[in-house]
Amino acid sequence: MDFTLESSEIHALVGENGAGKSTLAKVVAGSIRSDAGSMSLFGQPYQPSSRREAAAAGVAHVRQQLSLVRGLTVAQNLQLGRPGAPAVFNPAAARSEVERWCDEFALSVPAETMVDDMPLAVRQQAEILIAVAWGARLLILDEPSSALGPLETSALIALCHRLRAEGTPILYISHRLPELAELADRLTVLRAGRVVVEGADVRAADLREVANLMIGDVTLLEVSRPEIERGSTRLSVSDLSVSSTQEVGCRGLDFEVAGGEILGVIGIAGNGQESLAKALTGQVKLSSGHVLVDGVDISGSAREAIGAGVAHLHEDRATGLAAAFSVADNATARHRGSRRFTRFGVRLPDKIARHARELAQLFQVHPPDPAARANSLSGGNQQKLMAARELERNPTVLVAHGPTKGLDPEAAKAMRDRCFAAAQAGGAVVVISADLEEVADLAHRVIVLYRGSITDAFPIEDMTSERVGAAMAGLTESAGATSG
Amino acid sequence: MSQLLEATFWSATTAGGLRLATPLIYASIGETFAQRAGVLNLGLEGYMIIGALSSLYVADPTSAPLGFLAGGLAGMALASLMILLSIRLFANQVVVGFGLTILGIGTTGYIFHETTDVGGRARQVSLPSEIDIPLLSDIPWLGDAVFGHSWYTWLSLSLVIVAGFVASRTVFGLQVKAVGEDPDAAAAKGVDVLRIRTQATLVSGFLGGLGGAALMLGSVGRFQPYLTANRGFIALIVIIMASWSVWGAAMGAFVFGFFEALGFNLNNAFVDVPIEGLNAIPFFVALVILTVSARWARMPRGLGANYIPTV
Repeated sequence: MDFTLESSEIHALVGENGAGKSTLAKVVAGSIRSDAGSMSLFGQPYQPSSRREAAAAGVAHVRQQLSLVRGLTVAQNLQLGRPGAPAVFNPAAARSEVERWCDEFALSVPAETMVDDMPLAVRQQAEILIAVAWGARLLILDEPSSALGPLETSALIALCHRLRAEGTPILYISHRLPELAELADRLTVLRAGRVVVEGADVRAADLREVANLMIGDVTLLEVSRPEIERGSTRLSVSDLSVSSTQEVGCRGLDFEVAGGEILGVIGIAGNGQESLAKALTGQVKLSSGHVLVDGVDISGSAREAIGAGVAHLHEDRATGLAAAFSVADNATARHRGSRRFTRFGVRLPDKIARHARELAQLFQVHPPDPAARANSLSGGNQQKLMAARELERNPTVLVAHGPTKGLDPEAAKAMRDRCFAAAQAGGAVVVISADLEEVADLAHRVIVLYRGSITDAFPIEDMTSERVGAAMAGLTESAGATSG
Repeated sequence: MSQLLEATFWSATTAGGLRLATPLIYASIGETFAQRAGVLNLGLEGYMIIGALSSLYVADPTSAPLGFLAGGLAGMALASLMILLSIRLFANQVVVGFGLTILGIGTTGYIFHETTDVGGRARQVSLPSEIDIPLLSDIPWLGDAVFGHSWYTWLSLSLVIVAGFVASRTVFGLQVKAVGEDPDAAAAKGVDVLRIRTQATLVSGFLGGLGGAALMLGSVGRFQPYLTANRGFIALIVIIMASWSVWGAAMGAFVFGFFEALGFNLNNAFVDVPIEGLNAIPFFVALVILTVSARWARMPRGLGANYIPTV
């Protein structure tokens, strides 16, 4: 990989998840060592073996997971670990230093507020402020805008421009193309660990072509897709908004899914998928809108969602299963308290185990041992166990979040068949995924999420890499979703 | 009854409270450092009792200050087991802490038994003289309350000031808080988490040992098995009451001492009230304070969890 960052420029590094952007950033910031090749910094040979060394050379890495210490104030974070700081800490001096930098860069970071109590955008500004105060000569910002709203993003862009004007070059990692046009000077595209475009002038670049290059060719593999009869609308989502402090929320989503239909929800991870999955399964309070299953409003109540027959294949198997519990306990969790498996409130282990063994065999969980702990199973078998629990009874709505993620081809096929079977049995299926091929294999229709809103919606036949890439990167003007 | 209306009853109770609080002040301040750093140091009772015995055995042939120092060092020695087993070898903090308490109580009882001849001279120290601060003791009422304290008490009060400064105004204090709240982020900022936790635990061992030594040399004078009688655990309660602040820990220790002294003095005033009931007063007060302070108390996020470095 060859790559050059000019002094006083903002250089954008773009690419899909897993394209190698963060790896490159970590090598520059000293977190990991390169296997081969060399670097130079401001004309000097540069081979950092630790973050400390990189920091001493003036390289600051503001990471996706922010690294301010919670439980301390900004002023305390400024002093903590600062190179050459005296042993006695002067709170007044630290506070006025924070205020001075705030003035210089037109920020409003409160010096004496606990980091925990600040919104994400302010924490990020605080982290950049501390990096600059510590004497950073080169800033690496890794997906800095991924959790920011539009206003916060423009504030960040303004801050970057001010830093550039002071002569601090910035390596800006993102997969959000629209903001780059406003922000960056040059742009490098990575795909699968290789540089596809190096240092193109952002103003001259065609962003649609860049989006296409990021994604590469989507190969629409021929998957034997069964004919499924379409029923009437089962899942109806209107004006759905979720606000969240932890993750990107959703804004004004409208769509419907019919029985027998599979809807694909595409988007780069972190664009509101978690909030959508929680909203559809009643696990989060909605700030507006409704989720109707067969006409019943299940908004904000997981109990009602389960009662209405909503099944959920959680994105993270460790969270979706009770990992430390047995296969039997997990497989029969939906029967909790049912008379079938208890007598006078006492569980009947033999009945539970027998039923769990039958279910495990039916869903090909290996080993079909009711006593095995769920976290002793392989990832594919954990996924099958979760499917056994959720799909034992035909669901009215199946929310499958990354159902084949990380599975080998055979297990992936089994999970696809489960999704098809749920649709064939008359269920409405929503497949949420960042993996285009997974969606292309399963869905009849696609909506694209970008920052919690739907940017495009089309039947699967119309899916092209250009169209999806543009919508995923936010280049499509919000086109209200077609329902059907 | 009329005694309760006299100012001298309350000033004497205040003075007695401060005396009883002295060992607690040492122990709870040390423990505050360990817990702020994320180390749930349940061996504190053990550090105190081993400090008490060591201080006596050194002070008896030499002098009280030397014995006091020896008490601190003995507590530190026991705390290094906590460091070895929990901080460095990642054993469960609760198990190791309780183990060290039991080890401390058992070992000191055994040593005392083995080294004491029946009918022979028991090791003992004479209690320290009282030091009055000239102008302070002339103030009415307050003068009586701060009257008649030994240098162990005055030293513990100076320690509060020093420890408060270290906790809030030095980089070491910041590092301690950082490794207790968010060890991963602290490590990312270049703080050596295990080293800071080790240092904080050594501080707690030393001050816990001093607490036991202050109890022995300052107010008891001779050893008996299980001399500390749960004072280490009371210090643990005090820290929760104080929401892990140094000043609060000193205040909490005083509150405990005050109500303990109140129990004694009420027992003198009302002979027909059972002493057991009066002895329960400090614990009852602690329950009330704990319930109320639960509204704002914030425990260090990383408390009790071992930090295993990734590299």
